[in-house]
Amino acid sequence: MENNNKKSSAFYSYSLNPQAKFDTQEDGEKVYLLLRSHPFTQIGWILGSILFFILLFSFNFFIQSFFNPGQIFLINLFFTIIIFSYIWFNILNWYFNVGIITSKRIIDIDFYAVLYKEITNAQLGRIEDTTVKSGGYLESFFDYGSIFVQTAGTEANVEFINVPHPSDAVQIINKLLSKKHGL
Amino acid sequence: MDFKDIAFKVVISLFAIFYYLYALVVSKQVKIMDKTLQDEHNGFILFVTSLQVTISLVILIIVLLSILII
Repeated sequence: MENNNKKSSAFYSYSLNPQAKFDTQEDGEKVYLLLRSHPFTQIGWILGSILFFILLFSFNFFIQSFFNPGQIFLINLFFTIIIFSYIWFNILNWYFNVGIITSKRIIDIDFYAVLYKEITNAQLGRIEDTTVKSGGYLESFFDYGSIFVQTAGTEANVEFINVPHPSDAVQIINKLLSKKHGL
Repeated sequence: MDFKDIAFKVVISLFAIFYYLYALVVSKQVKIMDKTLQDEHNGFILFVTSLQVTISLVILIIVLLSILII
């Protein structure tokens, strides 16, 4: 794992040997890789926020005849707060939705709309197959894609959606699997 | 004071209250998320979250005061 050349990249969305810890971490379990969605996949809400600021600015030309200056100040204050809250909410969603590859298992931590938590994990010994899906101009250009980890039996499958350098991540998983199976 | 001013004050006050409650809920959730995953930038995330709660409280006070002035 130490030989991987992508030490940490794409705004902490691909962190090799990070200092991260998680609540169900066992003694002696080492985190090798921490993955988040590629920053480019966040472009939707970033552009949306810019658009909201432009709309707010334009909105001021129309409301001047309806409200007094004090009211206009409060309206602007609240809409600015809404936009910043929207930005912060999306940052939190991005930051805490992670995929973790450790020396013992693969973990997918998801927070839906910040409020709902879902943690899926697959023990290395139970992994049957790993698939990388990456297609299209943007995925190829920015080198991101999705990883699907299939497990044996009734254990839930693990999915890392739109993560950077998916091939490198799968290479790390395969190395760990080889090590685990003594190949 | 006309109906429009009263409606404005009611809407803005409710908004300030709901925003404060929202900031509190997000803050609580961030603490849970911080417990679930500890990464190198968690300190910054917690700082911004507590800043959001403080700002929401300040806004609530500003709104309540400005209602008396406007």
